[in-house]
Amino acid sequence: MSAVSFWLIALVAIAGAWTVLVARETIRLIAGLGTFLLGIAGLYLRFAMPLLAASQVFLYVGGVLALFLFAIMALRRDEDRAGPAVRFSVVHASVAAGIFAVLVTALRDVGAASVDVTAGQDAVDAVGALLLGRFLPAFELVGGLLFVALVAVLAISAGEDRR
Amino acid sequence: MSGAAGLAWGVAGGLGAGSAIALAALFGVWWERKVSARIQMRFGPQQAGPFGLLQTLADTVKLVLKEDILPSRADPGPFLRAPLVVFVPIAVSLLAVPLSAGWAPLDTSVGALFFLAVPSVSVLGVLVGGWASGNTYATIGGLRGAAQMVSYEVPRTLSVLSMVVLAGSMRPVGMMAAWRWWWLPLTAVAFVVYIVSSIAEMNRGPFDIPEAESELVAGYFADYSGIRWAIFMMSEYGAILAASLFGAAVFLGGSHGVPGVAGFAILLTEAIAIVTLVMWVKWTFPRFRSDQLMALAWKVLTPMALVQLAVVGLVAAWL
Repeated sequence: MSAVSFWLIALVAIAGAWTVLVARETIRLIAGLGTFLLGIAGLYLRFAMPLLAASQVFLYVGGVLALFLFAIMALRRDEDRAGPAVRFSVVHASVAAGIFAVLVTALRDVGAASVDVTAGQDAVDAVGALLLGRFLPAFELVGGLLFVALVAVLAISAGEDRR
Repeated sequence: MSGAAGLAWGVAGGLGAGSAIALAALFGVWWERKVSARIQMRFGPQQAGPFGLLQTLADTVKLVLKEDILPSRADPGPFLRAPLVVFVPIAVSLLAVPLSAGWAPLDTSVGALFFLAVPSVSVLGVLVGGWASGNTYATIGGLRGAAQMVSYEVPRTLSVLSMVVLAGSMRPVGMMAAWRWWWLPLTAVAFVVYIVSSIAEMNRGPFDIPEAESELVAGYFADYSGIRWAIFMMSEYGAILAASLFGAAVFLGGSHGVPGVAGFAILLTEAIAIVTLVMWVKWTFPRFRSDQLMALAWKVLTPMALVQLAVVGLVAAWL
């Protein structure tokens, strides 16, 4: 039964990801992305990580995806029904494969430092203690990095307007 | 919980939440018409049944029988599904609300986050529904609605965070049990921020610029009719129900330690008081302009919630 639920959720997520790759209409692409992100949240729940699942839904489905959709609707009103499908490109594929390899390597090393996030209230406490205790400098640095990235995007897009 | 039991629980919970919202809409529409009539020195519905109680039932029959129109310029797939994308997350979020001392349908350690996170999915339904109508008014309404819902999530989350810090738990049942009477004056600012941003999340007056009838006809659901329109409207009343019940449980102490049906009655009384407050606000204040609405979220409510959080943080250090 548990294996069945895992594969069912995984299938939903893969179907969503596949839709993102092949969709020609922006709206279908967004729907696929939403399905994929919800599927990932479902997998977190399946492995008893409600904190991660709720954060995933809050930040990615409710926040990031809504902003994507918002930007696309505001900026690409004319093209959205005839958006170009993504063509296969060796460069893009190798960049994606490279990122995947880096992630796998990094996750292998993490093993020892990982925390058990599967035990209800204790898990919330444990995650909080780690993020605001031992890993506080790293946590703040990541926040600073995201902020710099945001300002950079604004600067670049404003620069394009001026040209 | 095994897979089959979990599935059965999910179906039962979904049906229960859906029926609760339908009931809330039946009662809520009648209550709103009575409250607004009293504010405007009218009587409101009084022909069908005692005090006009059966009026909304009659309206429901009319709505179900009405033609379900698909506009010729609409994109059928997204257009037909958008109402459910708005409705289902709100129904699901209702399950995380504690209904009596020590009991919530879905009792998890991250319940408060769950309650705030899941309804944010309905932003997608608002955007897609407005866009798929193939109509400028609806698209603008969808964009405005989404901008508003995403913005007001920030002060709303921060206001609930104050209560989480005080209670030392994200589990709504635990937050309700930990509540003390002196939290009420201490967190009054958070409560005000919660109510105002919840009203904005529901796209209700005075924050109903996304569906302003005088300039956008009816915003993102301008092209919907019959049962699909009714689902949008029921989602609004479902959001009122969820926000009021959660507000009563977390900010007002809910059932104050009373278990069972009596505890639920206390909680429901507080929630109905909040619902009435929400309606009173709608029928008293004129609509905000789009930029005023954004300024209120980012320049007033968010700083207020942050100051409240700092104060609570200082107090919590002494607890």
